[in-house]
Parts: sequence; C-alpha cells; structure tokens
Amino acid sequence: MDDFLLFDRVSKRFDQDWAVRELTLAICQGEVFSLLGPSGCGKTTLLRICAGFEQPDSGRVLLQGRDITALPPHKRPVNTVFQNYALFPHLTLRQNVAFGLKLEKLPRRDIDRQVEAMLELVQLREQGDKKPHQISGGQKQRVAIARALVKRPKVLLLDEPLAALDLKLRKRMLIELDEIHDEVGTTFVYVTHDQSEAMSLSDRLAVMNDGQIEQVGTPVEVYEAPESSFTAAFIGDTNFFEGRVVAQEGDYCRLAIEGLGEVWCYNDRGRRQGELVYLSVRPEKMRLSRQPLELGRNRFSGRVEDKVYLGGESRFWVRVGEYRLAVAVQHSRYLLDQQPLQWGEEVALGWHEDDGYMLQRYAEEHEALLSLPPEDEA
Amino acid sequence: MRRSRRSECWLTLPSLLWLALFFLLPTLMVFSTSFRPADPYGGLGSGWTLETLARLYSPNYPAIIWRTLWLSAVTTLICLLVAVPVAYTLARARQRFKRLLLLLVVLPFWTNFLIRIFAWKVLLHPEGLVKQGLLLLGLVAPEASLMYCEGAVLLVLVYTYLPFAILPVYAAAERFDFGLLEAAQDLGARPWRAFCTVFLPGVRRGLLAAALVVFIPALGSYVIPDIMGGPASEMLGNKIAQRVFVDRNLPQASALSALLTLAVMVPLLLALLLNRKRPEEPVALKEGA
Amino acid sequence: MRRCAAFRLITALCLLFLYLPIVILVVNSFNASRFGSVWGGFSLHWYRALLANERVWQALVNTLLVALVATLVATVLGTLAAFALHRYHSRWQQLHYALVYAPLVVPDVLLGMSLLLLFVHLGVSLGLTTIMLAHTSFCISYVAMVVLARLQDFDFSIIEAAQDLGAGWWTILWRVFLPLLAPGILAGSLLAFTLSLDDFVISFFTAGPGSTTLPIQIYSMMRHGTPPVINALSTLLLVLTFAVVFAVQRLTKGKLQ
Repeated sequence: MDDFLLFDRVSKRFDQDWAVRELTLAICQGEVFSLLGPSGCGKTTLLRICAGFEQPDSGRVLLQGRDITALPPHKRPVNTVFQNYALFPHLTLRQNVAFGLKLEKLPRRDIDRQVEAMLELVQLREQGDKKPHQISGGQKQRVAIARALVKRPKVLLLDEPLAALDLKLRKRMLIELDEIHDEVGTTFVYVTHDQSEAMSLSDRLAVMNDGQIEQVGTPVEVYEAPESSFTAAFIGDTNFFEGRVVAQEGDYCRLAIEGLGEVWCYNDRGRRQGELVYLSVRPEKMRLSRQPLELGRNRFSGRVEDKVYLGGESRFWVRVGEYRLAVAVQHSRYLLDQQPLQWGEEVALGWHEDDGYMLQRYAEEHEALLSLPPEDEA
Repeated sequence: MRRSRRSECWLTLPSLLWLALFFLLPTLMVFSTSFRPADPYGGLGSGWTLETLARLYSPNYPAIIWRTLWLSAVTTLICLLVAVPVAYTLARARQRFKRLLLLLVVLPFWTNFLIRIFAWKVLLHPEGLVKQGLLLLGLVAPEASLMYCEGAVLLVLVYTYLPFAILPVYAAAERFDFGLLEAAQDLGARPWRAFCTVFLPGVRRGLLAAALVVFIPALGSYVIPDIMGGPASEMLGNKIAQRVFVDRNLPQASALSALLTLAVMVPLLLALLLNRKRPEEPVALKEGA
Repeated sequence: MRRCAAFRLITALCLLFLYLPIVILVVNSFNASRFGSVWGGFSLHWYRALLANERVWQALVNTLLVALVATLVATVLGTLAAFALHRYHSRWQQLHYALVYAPLVVPDVLLGMSLLLLFVHLGVSLGLTTIMLAHTSFCISYVAMVVLARLQDFDFSIIEAAQDLGAGWWTILWRVFLPLLAPGILAGSLLAFTLSLDDFVISFFTAGPGSTTLPIQIYSMMRHGTPPVINALSTLLLVLTFAVVFAVQRLTKGKLQ
C-alpha cells in the first residue's frame, strides 16, 4: 500500500524552535525507510511522534488510513527499538521479550512459543536466562529488536540503533537487520545520521534538514540525482559549479562556468538559454591522467594540489582554473601501475557529460558539509 | 609486612577501643543485666536470677511489644506510600525546581525533633487549631481528645520519619532511566502498569533503604509515644524509660532493651541477606548514548 | 501525563503537611495570647521571657560545651577510623566496620540505656562528663562514615605525584593529604556537632542532676503543658537551623557546580 504510514503536514515545536515543520511523508508497506540527516534535523522527533511520545502541534499521523494522532503510545500497533536499548534490567532476556506479549493476555504457551521463536531469530536462545547487564552491546541490540518484533507491530521504529556499537559490529548488525527484515517483512522506519547505514539498508530514504524533507527517493536516486545542494553535500562528497546555460544541444546543454570554461551536461530539467544553473559532479566520476583524456566532452588540465591515500582509493585535490576539485581514484592496481600521481604534477582531468547533475536548489552554506582540506597558503 | 601491621594497629586501635568500651561492652551489659535482680534503691542487686525474664510474660508486655511492631510497620507503610510519589515528582522536576523542592523536603529533617513534636502537641491540643477545624466540620464531638491516643502517636511518627523515607527513594529515582517507562508504554503497558512493573522494581534498593531507615528508629521511639500517647499507647521505648526513671528497675529495663535489640536485629539481618543475594546487579542506570 | 498530576498533588500536600506545624509554631511565638488557637495580637513577650530564663541559658551553655568537646574528640577518632577502614581490609577491619556502623542503625533508646548501664556498673556518677562520653561515642560513627565516603572518591594519584616530586610522608600528610581531605573532615564534624546539639534521648539517659542540656530543658518544659515560651525558643532554633542550611547550600553551590 502506498500510504501505509502517512505523516500529513506534521509540525512540532519545542519552546521557540520548530523541530518539524509542515512535514508530509508517505511510507509504503513492508519497506525499509530511513530518515537521514544531521543532528537536530527533526528525524528523531518525527519518530517519536510516530511512536506517540510526542504530540504534533498540528497535522496528523495515519496508519493504514486510520488516524492515530491522538492514540497514546501503548495503544498504537507501533513498536520502537530505542537507541540505548532500554532493556528492563530486573528481568531476564526472555522476560524482556515476553513483556509486551504478556500485556496482550495471550495464553502462556503461545507466549513462550513466540518468545523462543524470536530469540531463535536473533540467535540468543541459549542466553535467554541472562540479565541485560551480563551481555554485550550487540546482543542487547538484538534483544531490543526481538522484544519489539515479537508483538508483530505494523511498523517497527529504530532510533539510531547501531550508534553505540563499534564499526565492525555495526557492519555485521546491518546485515543482520537486513536478514531480519527479509524474514518478517514488517515496515521498518530507521533513523540515522550515518549515510552508509541508510544507503545500505533502505529501500527508500528521506534526507532531512532543519525540520523539513529535502528529498525522498531510493538510495540510487538520492545519490546520483540530488535535488538540492544539501543532499549532494550531505551524502558523500561532490564538486559544485555555478554557471549559465549558453546553448541547448539536443539532450544536453552547454554551460559557461566562470573560472573554468565550458561544460556539457545532460539536460533532464529542460533548462533554457541564459538560465543560472548549479552543477554537482561527484569525485569518483572524475578521471585523472598524465596523458590527455579520450572519453567525454568535459576535459581540462590542472595541477595536483593535495592527495590522501586511503587504502582502497586515493583522493586528489586538483586546481583547475579557479576551482579546486576533489577527485576520487580507485586503485585496482597501485604499485604495478605507472607511478602514482605526485604533488604539483600537471594532470588531465575530465568527466562524462552524463555524470554531472543539475541541482534544483542551491545554498552556499551547504558547502560546509563537504570534507575538503583547508586551502593551502598560496 | 610487619610495618603495615603496625600502622594498621595505630590507626585502628583508638576508635576500636573506644567503641568496644562504649558500645560493645554496654550492649553486652544490657543482656547480662536482664539476669540480675533489682535492688530496692534502684541499683543492681547481687547474684543472678531468671525472675526478670519471667516477668516479661506478664500481661502488659506482649501488648506493648505488639503495639510497637504494629505502629512501626504502619508508619513505615504510610511513609513509603507518600515517599514514592514525592520522590518520583522530585526526580522528574526541572532543574530549577528540583533544588528548591529538595531543600524544602530536607529542611524539616534538620530541625530539632522535639520542636516538631511540640508543634503537633499544640495543634492537637483540645483548644488547638485542628480540633477547632474538625469541630467546625462536624467530624468530631466537643469532648473528644485528639491527643494521648494511638492515632496521635502514629501521626507524629509519620511526620517525624517522612523526610527520612523520601531521601533514599529520591536518590534511587534520580538514577533511574526514565526511558524505560517509555519502552514499557511502547510495548503496550498503560502508564500505571509501566509504573508498577518497571519503576518500582527499578528503585527497590531505595525502597528497602527507606523502609529500614523508618522501621528501625520507629521501633525504638520513646519521646513520641511519651508525649503524644497515653498509657494505652505505650511503646517499648517509653516503657524502658519508665522502668528506668520512674520505677527505678534497671533489670527489667534491661530485659526490655534486650528484647528491643533483638527486634531490631531481625530486619537488619533480613536487609543484609537481601542485599547479598544480588550484589553485582546494577540498578537501572541511565546508559550513555 | 495524568499520573504526574496526581503525584504532584501528593507532593504539594506532603510539603504542606511538613510545614504547617512549623508555621503555626512561628506565628504563635509572636502571639500575645497564651492559647494557640486565639490570636491576641503581636507581641515579643515570650521572647523576653525566654531571654530572662536562667535555666535556658545554663542549658544552652552546657549543650554547646558538650557538643564542642564531643565533636573534637569524635573528629579525631572518626577520621582515624575512616583511614583504617579505607586502607586495610583484614578481619579486624570487618569487626571495626561493624562497630562503627552499628550505632548508626541502633535506636537511641538502646544506646542511652546501654551507656547508662555501663556508668552504673562502673560506679561513675552521671553528669556533664558522662553526656560528653556518650555523645562522642555516636559521633565517631557519623564522622567516620562521612570521611570514608570522601576517601573513596579521593584521587590517590595526587599522592603518587607528590612522592614522585620528592615529598616525604610527613610533608605529604600535612601539605597534601589533610588539606585536600579537610572539607570532608569538616563536613563530618559539622554533622556530628549538629547531631550532638540536637540529641535528646541519649543525653536524657546519661545526664545527672544539674547537668541539663537544651533539648532536655525543652522536654521537661514540654512534658506537662504547652508553655508558649517554647514557641519562641523553637522559632529561634528554627531560624538558626535554616540559616546554617542556607549557608551550607551557598558554600557548596559554587563548589559542586
């Protein structure tokens, strides 16, 4: 169902600040939907409004067409996995998982059966009689998930569930979460500030900023076709260009970029001559070479100003005209290849005209989200 | 190392000897004196006898012992029932109010308890405000006395020990992770149910401490039943005092004291056992994000 | 949430319950009428009567004397006890801990009674000295507990740093350790002082004729009536207590935050 979970012009204010403003969002049944954004963007507030812990100042929340805005949290068919797990310390893991079922007044045997099945799903059946303080963070995470899922909620809300885990464990848990979702098929709403989590786990995601939604789409859409400079800069890295349309040439248009030159870009927005345009080109889309480039119409020459070796790839900052462009180069062969590029070398830089993307909205302050090293003293 | 043994001796002996002389020895004396006969002049006679202990079975004492236990238990119960909501409100209060509220709760605790008892004596006096108020409401007859009855004793007991009960429960509530209540509601528990099944177990250490810190001193109350109660509401404490100062019968007073000591030991040992059972389990602390 | 409202009501009622008698007391201390329920006009008559009362002054002097001596001795013994309890963990210390902890949980009546028996057995005549001995005994426990708590929070790496810089144990004791522990010791002795001033039951059991402390004096005045002079005395004591508590609050406010 398309509007399985619907936020209809929801607004919420804390003192003078609007945490969420006239926000409308539709989530489909059975999907993993992420709310992605920096701290303070309102994603957690939205989650809590969905769970019932905050009442919106205006707007409604509809679940399967039914208005649940006025329902208290214990009456909603929605369960939450809290960031700090919130496991009951005086109960065993089994009793924790059974807590919600007991409140539904099911017969004892059914409860036990479902609890065992859920513990089996999260691979903690043998530890069932332990108390929360006796298990590790990753295991607590799984118990929290089990406890929420065993009630078969219509929607499972996850509030930055992996934030307290270390990197390797986080990566493993992501895969497990994916498997659990495949197994149970519940609609997941996942809140995080970590883009790689959101991108790897979600069917669709919403990028949020300052109480508003910047863009909703699949990970591919959001990454490859960002609508605003916020989305382009918040997820991954990019290079921004400002220019004017010189001419339309079929599916493409030619832009004049001051301080750089002429650039071709795929014109999917139907931009016309004379319009101001902001262009985003991601670092991995750019090519560097000592020899002149062969592919693509956007070709420039520049000088390597900075480089960073990251293992699987290297990052270069190349001065081209008045621009300092970030380029990411994967190392399929590092040492056996020609000599790696050095500081100060002259290079050819270019990208294919299909790989640039024209933004709908641009704001200069979003450039602060990019991870660029400080400018060198000339 | 012998050197550390020596310094341990030097550090420990002063207080150890003092307390052995002025606490341990006297306590043992209480037990031993129960076996001595009374001297007509108020001192101790020579020799040993079991007569004093036999006297304990006289009709008065069991009633007094029962009343002492009963009043202490009821006081503890009432104090806990009031302390829990107050501690909850305090722990949930915003920073500005919290300091002020805590100060307000603690202040009576610092005032001289005789003064507080006196205040109630004035209030419950036949000509006092409470009596006038109740007369106006028609709840009480003009000849009825609010003083010198068990009710008055209970009232002042609760009044005296309430701050003692609030503080430990508040300390436990302060360290409680209120996110757990949200989790319980999220799983379908009504607010009241969440409170009972998650909050109360979460602060049980504080509840136990509060129960102890009210029950044990209440058992030994002397001044309160002495001033507020009549002969029909005597407790062990003022009976002991009566035997010492009025009847000048030290052995009987000792016997009663020994009894009181044993009565105090029981809840103490129970509490020790309960604490031993779960030593490593931390209380519901707030976890870092 | 609805539950909060009910609880807030209980809290408000509780505070009302706690303060109503005190407020009535203070108001009555200025009441010209002898009867608490009738307002006879504002008067300082009872305060004047109080200040003229010889016995009250004598009792006050006695109380202060006892408190001072008991606090001094108890501070020394209690601090030593705390050091021993913190540093060593032998079986002796377990006994030591039990002896230090027990007076805190035992009712006053038992402490008073047992001390009385001790003095009777030893043939010591009751007077101000016996009261001092009694007070010292229970004050040791309070000082020890407070100082012990501070020791447990103490950062001993400072001591190691001092040693590393060449200080001998005498220097460390007087220049580093005691100065840092001083607030804790002070807090403990302040507590002991307050408790000694306040004590009635133990004093009553161990006092002799002529050695009356202020609480005993109040009690005997209270026993057989409700003399309004006590209102005035109580108000003065309350004001003193409140002032001390506020002062301590102000002092710790800067330090704790």
